[in-house]
Amino acid sequence: MGEDTRRGPVTGRMWVTLIAIGLVASAIGIALGLSLRWFPAQGSTIAHKIDTFWDVLIIVSVPIFVGVVTMVLFSIWRWRQRPGEELLDGPPIHGNTKLEVVWTTIPTIIIAGLCAYATVLLLDIQNAPAKGTRVINVTGQQFAWTFSTVENGKKIQTNELYVPVGEPINFKVRSLDVIHDFWVPEWRLKVDAVPGITTGYALTPSKVGNYQVVCAELCGLGHAFMRANVHVLPAAKYAAWVQKVTTPVGAAAVGAASNGSASVDTIGKQLFVAGNPSTGTLACGTCHTMKAAGTSSATGPNLDKFVAQDPASAIREMIVNPNKEIATGFAKGVMPVNIGKTLNKQQIDALTAYIYKSVHRR
Amino acid sequence: MEAAAIPAAVAHDDHHHGPPIANRSSKVEPEVLGILLFIISELMLFGAFFAAYFFIRVVAKTDWPPHGALPVEVAATNAVILLSSSLTMHWTDVSAKRGNTYAMRVGIVTTFLLGSTFLFIQINEYLSLGFNPTTNASASIFFGLTGLHGAHVVIGLLLLFMSAVRIFKGKVGPDHHKGLEVPGIYWHFVDAMWIIVFTTIYVL
Amino acid sequence: MAAKLTSPGWYRALLYTVVGIAFTLGMSAGLRAIFNLDPVYSWQSWVTIALLMTPLFFLAGIGCFDYWWRWARGRKVVDDHADHGAHSWRDYFKVNTDHKVIGIQYICVSFFFMFVGGLMAMLVRAELAQPGRQFVDANTYNGLFSIHATLLIFLFVIPVFAGIANYVLPLMIGAPDMAFPRLNALSFWMLPLAGIMMLLSFLAPGGSFAAGWTAYAPLSVHQPMGATFFTVAVQFAGASSIATALNFLVTIITMRAPGMTFFRMPLLVWANFSTSLLVVIATPFIAASQFMVLLDRALGFNFFNPAGGGDVLMYQHVFWFYSHPAVYIMMLPGFGIISEVLATRARKPIFGYRMMAFSLLAIVVLGFTVWAHHMFVSGMQNWIRIPMMITTAIIAIPTGIKIFSWVATLWRGVLKMDTPMLWAVGFITMFTLGGISGVMLAMVPLDIHVSDTYFIVAHIHYVLFGGSMFTIFAGIYFWFPKMTGRMYNERLGKLHFWLTFVFFNLTFAPMHLIGVQGMPRRVYDYAQEFATWNLIISLSSFVLGLSSLIFLYNMIASWRGGTRAVANPWRSLTIEWQVSSPPPIFNFDAIPSVVGGPYEYGVPGAVHAVFKGAEVPSPVPAGAETSPTPATEH
Ligand code: HEA
Ligand code: HEA
Ligand code: HEC
Ligand code: CUA
Ligand SMILES: [Cu+2]
Repeated sequence: MGEDTRRGPVTGRMWVTLIAIGLVASAIGIALGLSLRWFPAQGSTIAHKIDTFWDVLIIVSVPIFVGVVTMVLFSIWRWRQRPGEELLDGPPIHGNTKLEVVWTTIPTIIIAGLCAYATVLLLDIQNAPAKGTRVINVTGQQFAWTFSTVENGKKIQTNELYVPVGEPINFKVRSLDVIHDFWVPEWRLKVDAVPGITTGYALTPSKVGNYQVVCAELCGLGHAFMRANVHVLPAAKYAAWVQKVTTPVGAAAVGAASNGSASVDTIGKQLFVAGNPSTGTLACGTCHTMKAAGTSSATGPNLDKFVAQDPASAIREMIVNPNKEIATGFAKGVMPVNIGKTLNKQQIDALTAYIYKSVHRR
Repeated sequence: MEAAAIPAAVAHDDHHHGPPIANRSSKVEPEVLGILLFIISELMLFGAFFAAYFFIRVVAKTDWPPHGALPVEVAATNAVILLSSSLTMHWTDVSAKRGNTYAMRVGIVTTFLLGSTFLFIQINEYLSLGFNPTTNASASIFFGLTGLHGAHVVIGLLLLFMSAVRIFKGKVGPDHHKGLEVPGIYWHFVDAMWIIVFTTIYVL
Repeated sequence: MAAKLTSPGWYRALLYTVVGIAFTLGMSAGLRAIFNLDPVYSWQSWVTIALLMTPLFFLAGIGCFDYWWRWARGRKVVDDHADHGAHSWRDYFKVNTDHKVIGIQYICVSFFFMFVGGLMAMLVRAELAQPGRQFVDANTYNGLFSIHATLLIFLFVIPVFAGIANYVLPLMIGAPDMAFPRLNALSFWMLPLAGIMMLLSFLAPGGSFAAGWTAYAPLSVHQPMGATFFTVAVQFAGASSIATALNFLVTIITMRAPGMTFFRMPLLVWANFSTSLLVVIATPFIAASQFMVLLDRALGFNFFNPAGGGDVLMYQHVFWFYSHPAVYIMMLPGFGIISEVLATRARKPIFGYRMMAFSLLAIVVLGFTVWAHHMFVSGMQNWIRIPMMITTAIIAIPTGIKIFSWVATLWRGVLKMDTPMLWAVGFITMFTLGGISGVMLAMVPLDIHVSDTYFIVAHIHYVLFGGSMFTIFAGIYFWFPKMTGRMYNERLGKLHFWLTFVFFNLTFAPMHLIGVQGMPRRVYDYAQEFATWNLIISLSSFVLGLSSLIFLYNMIASWRGGTRAVANPWRSLTIEWQVSSPPPIFNFDAIPSVVGGPYEYGVPGAVHAVFKGAEVPSPVPAGAETSPTPATEH
């Protein structure tokens, strides 16, 4: 009676096969899970710890999932109702205390192990930074980042983040308006920038390169574009950069550009492509395309087209009062409204003149 | 489309014109249980505002009291008024169960008037505080909590008013007093809540 | 006509709504005049007041309050049951106090919002098919995913479970109706209002509500008008679910049939009991959080204004103290459905029945202790993270007990692999995956990296689609014969399952990967490196969306012309199957008596409930041939 044995208890041999299948499937699953390139580059000294933790999580989770699926599929394969069994009932098994103890205990042990590991790891990565650690103040606002630090007794403020490799840095994160989130995927840490309080974390960048700060908390319409470049530099290059930006005549610092020595044109272009980091003005080029400035974003209207017919006064009005008229096809509330306040009169004039000249040149 | 809830298989015509009486599987009255659960839910609503109070006063360390001193004596008087209205409410309830129509009427009217007095004093207090919700966060939570309680007093008064109407129309008596008992429980809750609000805001 | 305008119904509802709009306009202007505010006619203040109050006028007009109004005035009130039961499809558009009618109303309305919300997901995916801007702007995009989530959570998953339970729960415990039928009707009618309000926000000046379903302050405080629509709609949806939960609790506690002890209740009843506890205790918190946002928005309160001493993180604590339990509100009723389906289709008692009930309660209790796991990167005090991680991970234990017990229920059963069963086993596997990714998220060091990325989006959909949605489909197919008196089309049901199962995985599994790689959520543009995966995801999601049309067709066609269903096509033991399909207007002629457990399959001669007195429809009524699987395809 093949029928009876099929419905009978699972034989020892079958158990062996079943467990073997489970093990093999788990092994394949784990191998697959570990071979995928999950994470971006390891850019900080803690990155590899997180990545290892992830590997452990894969190794623990895959067998749990595979185990459940195997048992389900096995049950279906072996005990599904076949023609002629429509009125058959299964055996009235109500439970099995021993089994229930087992499947309560094993997850408890797994959970305890994972929590212990995670706790140790967390305490490790949130360890207080050593005294004298370099402090960088990170400020978020819709939709830009400002970074400021003190080097050689001078305050440096930028819209891009420059850090030396291999040195611990203590980031102090703040926000001027709504909640943002300071995240560099390669570094693996993130924290919200919360208005009213200072948050932050400390880490040590370990890999030279260019990365991006990604704002990871929905902060309004420009959230998707709230990025900033990160330059992790070798110590020597970093020192050179510090040297450059702290020397008053350096053209890289925009604040310096407006001290009168540069022409109106340079100031305008500077503001357009770099903004004014010291007051938090966003670079226009982050959102607008304009050939003359070499920018090419489509968040806001293409200025070569949209303002080509407008007189300078109108352009000025659009910059100071962006919500008064909304370019068709674009949303209100993306273009920052604070430009009129964060730039002084000369700067706005220079910017307007520069845009006017650039779009009417053709 | 077919009407779904029309009986299909069971013949269902002459012999019944209403639902079968449900089995009563618990000693608690459904109405009483209902209002108790509702009160749990209300407690949690207050709980959320108390959480806000805690965060603003303790975690964010915003100035407390919002502006100068709070009129503790006025609020304490109000507490006494509300507590005595709880007593008269209880008296009304007992009278209803005893069938004492006169006491019941006096009781409900007194309760209602005491509640209204509370509300009146509260509004007067608001007008003379010298700060308003936009002053700062402490002021916001002050108005948030007392206002939430005030809103409950208003709802409570509405319920009392309905009970009063029913009492004066002779609909409440020893055999049917659910319509009084349930609003009564709610009123006791509103009163008790004031003690908690009063203590946290004015005393602590 | 005059009669139509004074008696409950749509005409009066319309009239009252117009009156309500006029009244709130007057109220807004009046109040502003009293307080010397300029201008007197401020449309913002009017819209806020109108949103809060016009629904009450509508509800009064349609007839939700008539009975209470008579009662409050001390008039004679009689239960003539005129508003009980449905005799034509029109009755489904009226205020009705029959739990079966309300159940169907709930289910149909929430599926309507499922399709609308799903359609928004399709637009989201279309926008995300390629990097760069395709065809919606930032405002519309943010609105689409916000309202997608809000509709699917507050107007689909939560109410559809309430609808299913509304229909079957009173039958299951042998009650003629819910404890408070009129409150039940009121809870239902608040729902479409909330949904319409959310959709109307698309028409609000300044665009729809766009701060995500979590509506974090202070962003939501500074949003244009559309956010008020959300804030108020959530109040109505919340009030509706509190009222229903209260109703369920009272019904379960006071109206069980004789002999129906707590440990003889079907697990669906247990599940709704637990869920209702969660709702009653937790939902006031979201109401409070939205009240505070509303006060900040409309009256200039300072709850979330740091300049005025407000605490921004407080919003998140209050919000998640509801919204974490809410995820179990969206899962526990599904657990109940799965237990019913599995026991019946595997022909075996539920393995470890008591532990199944206790683990539900354990999840309820634990669910209140884990809210800050959504705030690991929020900047809250660091020390909260470790305790929250531990409590969160512990939830895996009771949930694991449930998963393992279901698998053990399958073990050695006689598994009928029809549509409800496919969804049920699909659920077991997919929910395990989603739950495991949840446990990974609970691990703080990992969550710090993946929080706010597509890894979260993957988790959300594995638990909500692979979890809740699968159980909803299982339940709808399972009780379809009971609710409509018709059989659904089995072949289409299976096709629906397989298409959904495959394309669900193709849609959401890759999101784990791009999330860990660094793609943030809630963005309509993304880096080039994620382009390939996003295209695959979008294409799969379109097939996933289309597969739901098969379901829609199957439901409508079968309701209209499916084969007649017998009383108990599944040979189930629970009480709802012992009455006709659909059940008679008052459920029973006499209350049944419960004499045994609900799942005694395989025990010879076992009965769960007996009907004394009245004619008892036998489990498989005479007339239906003894074949337990009536012809379903044709
Ligand atoms: C139905 C809804 C639902 C359910 C049931 C769950 C269940 C769980 N969720 Fe999830 N969650 C959401 C819906 C849900 N979640 C949503 C919508 C969000 C995003 C909100 C937003 O920000 O928009 C979210 C976000 C979210 C976060 C925040 C992430 C972040 O924003 O950074 C976390 C972190 O801990 C988390 C954890 C968990 C855990 C541990 C469970 C557990 O309950 C899972 C338990 C189940 C199992 C573990 C599987 C079965 C168990 C076994 C087979 C036993 C053996 C297993 C082990 C030993 C591991 N969830
Ligand atoms: C129950 C809950 C639920 C359900 C069922 C779904 C279903 C789906 N969800 Fe959603 N989702 C959430 C809850 C849910 N989601 C939540 C809580 C969020 C977080 C929001 C936030 O961040 O605030 C979210 C966010 C979210 C995002 C992230 C947005 C972002 O962060 O930018 C995405 C992106 O792909 C997405 C996609 C989908 C898809 C493709 C489906 C599909 O499964 C939908 C399939 C169903 C249909 C499509 C039905 C309708 C079909 C038709 C009408 C036929 C027509 C079909 C075509 C035109 C093809 N969802
Ligand atoms: C975060 C994105 C963003 C930044 C940064 C930004 N803009 Fe805009 N801008 C927009 C958007 C979106 C619009 C269209 C909506 C509107 O008209 O307000 C716009 C509109 C404009 C217009 C009006 C175009 C028209 O035809 O109406 C001008 C001019 C303009 N921006 C100039 C600037 C200048 C100058 C700067 C830098 C100081 C700048 N923008 C910075 C997003 C941005
Ligand atoms: Cu700033 Cu998102
Ligand atoms: Cu959660």
